[in-house]
Amino acid sequence: MGFLAPWFLAGLAAIALPIYVHLLRQHNVIPLKFSSLMLFEKHTQSAVKRRRLRHLLLLALRVLLLALLALAFANPFVQRDPAAAASGARIEIVAIDRSFSMRADNRLERAKREALAILSGRPAGGLGQVLAFGATVQLMTQAVDDPAELRAAVQAVESDDSRSSYAELARVLRAIAQTSKLPVQVHLFSDMQKTSLPPSFSDLQLAPSITLIPHPLATASKANWAVESVTAPRRLLDPAKSRVEATIAGFATPAARRSVSLAINGKVMQTKPVEVPASGRARVEFLRLDAPHGFSRCEVRIDSVDALADDDAFRFSIERADPRRLLFVYDQRQARSLLYVRAALESSVEASFLMEAVAPGETANLTLSKYSLVLLSDAANLPEAFEAALKGWVRTGGSVFVAAGPGVAARRRVPVSGGVVSDLRYAPREGARFRTVATADTAHPALRRAGRLDNVRFYQVAGIEPGDARVLARLDDQTPLLLEQRLGAGKILIFASALDNVSNDLPLHAAFVPFIEQAANYLAGGETRAASVTAGSFLELRAEGGAGVAAEVLDPQGKRVLSFAEAAAARGVTLTSPGFYEIRRAAGGRELAAVNADRRESDLEVVPAETLALWQNTGQGGVDAASVRESKPWAMGWYIMLVVLLVAMTEFLFGLRYLAGEEAS
Amino acid sequence: MLQRFLNPSVLAGISGLELVARTVVEGFVAGLHRSPDFGFSQEFAEYRAYSEGDDLRYVDWNVFARTERAYIKRYRGETNTLVTALLDTSGSMGYSSHGVSKLDYARYLCASVFYLAINRQRDGAGIIVFDDEIRHFVAPSTRQGQLMRLLHALEKCAPRARTDFAKPFFHFQQFLHRRGIVMVVSDFYETPEKIVRAVEPLRHKGSEVVLFHVLDPREIAPKLDEPALLVDMETSDSLEVSPDYARTGYRVRIDAHIAALREQSRAAGLDYFLIDTSRPLDEALREYLSLRAGRM
Repeated sequence: MGFLAPWFLAGLAAIALPIYVHLLRQHNVIPLKFSSLMLFEKHTQSAVKRRRLRHLLLLALRVLLLALLALAFANPFVQRDPAAAASGARIEIVAIDRSFSMRADNRLERAKREALAILSGRPAGGLGQVLAFGATVQLMTQAVDDPAELRAAVQAVESDDSRSSYAELARVLRAIAQTSKLPVQVHLFSDMQKTSLPPSFSDLQLAPSITLIPHPLATASKANWAVESVTAPRRLLDPAKSRVEATIAGFATPAARRSVSLAINGKVMQTKPVEVPASGRARVEFLRLDAPHGFSRCEVRIDSVDALADDDAFRFSIERADPRRLLFVYDQRQARSLLYVRAALESSVEASFLMEAVAPGETANLTLSKYSLVLLSDAANLPEAFEAALKGWVRTGGSVFVAAGPGVAARRRVPVSGGVVSDLRYAPREGARFRTVATADTAHPALRRAGRLDNVRFYQVAGIEPGDARVLARLDDQTPLLLEQRLGAGKILIFASALDNVSNDLPLHAAFVPFIEQAANYLAGGETRAASVTAGSFLELRAEGGAGVAAEVLDPQGKRVLSFAEAAAARGVTLTSPGFYEIRRAAGGRELAAVNADRRESDLEVVPAETLALWQNTGQGGVDAASVRESKPWAMGWYIMLVVLLVAMTEFLFGLRYLAGEEAS
Repeated sequence: MLQRFLNPSVLAGISGLELVARTVVEGFVAGLHRSPDFGFSQEFAEYRAYSEGDDLRYVDWNVFARTERAYIKRYRGETNTLVTALLDTSGSMGYSSHGVSKLDYARYLCASVFYLAINRQRDGAGIIVFDDEIRHFVAPSTRQGQLMRLLHALEKCAPRARTDFAKPFFHFQQFLHRRGIVMVVSDFYETPEKIVRAVEPLRHKGSEVVLFHVLDPREIAPKLDEPALLVDMETSDSLEVSPDYARTGYRVRIDAHIAALREQSRAAGLDYFLIDTSRPLDEALREYLSLRAGRM
């Protein structure tokens, strides 16, 4: 209890005023001149007595009013000491690091043992909570007082091979402290990896009511070799041209000679020695991957005996596949487009397509399911049956590339997508006499390598109304040039011009080959995935609205990851464990995903003690400012002001009654 | 008859006592037009049967011609009478509760009487201003300019000192040699016995003495909202007075004082007339003259 502005208490002296008015002033009657006092007698005592009694309540109200007013301005407050307030109630949190690095030296088991010891020494009846954290924080329990439940939760913590994030832990702790409004004591069991710290220290800020007690499971950095990364082709088309490059890293290690092996489907295919400098990196290259057709489980391994054995191997998957089939439907007037597209695809290294070119009239007996991609080159006069079949195929995951040349523009309709073509726009006759690309989304896979299609001249462009399609590129007159439209689970990429070097000169530019190659790869579904992903990554199983067709995911142990309900509706799955995941997407197609632990976990350098102390200080008992903020006084000034208002109204009413009485008398 | 009287505060706004007096007198004389002969010198006239030895000059021959009987006209006064005002200018006469002090009111009263006497009745008039001493004296006269002299004397009046009837009234007897009308204008803050004892000798010389008791309405009925410290305007003594007493005890005592003064003055052959300063002066004067005429 105290006063924020105690000098206002001097206002209490004003209480003397009503006392003077009510008590003292009554004896100082008004002097009045009168002609003669011959007929007067002194007769005052009884009247004064009666008046004093009658005004006592009014006096009391006025004194109270002034006293409360002075008190309100002095602004009394009550100091709510958080420690005192919660002397009996607090939450004791056990936070266990379960990241990949906790596999080293059996750290996770040690952490659980120590956590159980802490829980055993905890006073009975207090609230406790168990958290397990890696890249994300999992609440193993709510804040409970049941020791058995807490112990069971600790026992249930398992490694998730993700990268630990202290920032995420701090965020969750802040949320717990804010919602519980109780002091929180956190026992942190972690190997205190330096790489777990966020880039910004402010992300580690703890709430003032949080007391952090670290229990480091490692006090010094440990030497560790790891296969840091592997660069390998996702799709193996020609083994003679294939190449795998691995990076071997040493963390706090001396210079050493390591033996690096490449294994495919468990069979060591090649072994190479490598000199790894002290705490440095070395590269190893393997050529000629002799993998069988289909998916292969590949692994680059080093012979190493260190604290963390699980990062000595790096998994990746490759698919030995035949060229994918591409159906090229073109109008006879667009024969040049066939030449350019075929040349572009054949010159590509990464993309491998077996192109089958047909005229619209020859599409009657085609089986679309055997194609990875259909390319319509200004094919305006598609048979209705084929177009309907094409739409159905796209809805189930197929992809179509539409080049909308003059033929499509004349029909005023984009095939398959049904988009409206308003007109065929020609380049102006004055000025440059051609259009160029003004804006392009170079982040899109189809344009990622082709760039902004600089210097390409467009003479004829179909004016396609975008509708719900996404515009990827526009010409300088804002005409959409490249649009992507989703139809069911499939994709339609619409190029608002022809590929024949008549409507534009794109086929003559260097950007044409990567554009066609990347667009075909993107549409055929083999363009984006790397040979391996990091543990904790999210894998898309189906496009939006593709529910109903079941997807299947088997983890490295061969167990189903998804329940039946999830298999029918889940958009994606998180790949948590290192190893190979077998995936069958909703749109069809099998895939093998290689998952590796985040290699930042391989660096076992511990957080400096000073940094750890700074982190602790962001919580309770550390930074004074935080304590001051928490112990913010509860000011009562406004509440007293309300009472003042009430008393003032009462005084006013009594005063009116008094005046009325005086006038009546 | 509807008679509009002049509010004293209106009189106070008129500069010049002559104008005040004229306004008052002309006003009430006009209201008394049916009996214009009322006046101080018109004492009385009576007829009686002629008897031997009577002076034939006083026989009313007009009456004799109509009735063949001889009647003698008799006059009580010899010639014009003398009006002398004794004006009390003690400190208490300065009291006022409504803009016109008792002294102002008394001055208007005197001025009106002087105007009436000199201009209308051709009587002589004089004034003696006193408090505890005789402050000013203008001998009664009918000379030219007498009214101006009297009014000048009235103008110079100012309230001061205390009232002492004994000392100045002893000297009045030396100034008043001739019979006439003596009007004493005062608030009479003295015991009735002392007042009557001091004034009574004037009556013994054959003069008609009228006591004009001038009081402020607040003196008759004081109003106090809260206890007040009253300060005597003559003695500067103070007294704390409660409203209750002012409402009850004082009223009883002032009423008793007025009643005693009225009774004792009449018992001594003195006329007594109480004037409230809130009352229109012409109305008061008219009432007094009417009463006086009725008495004669």
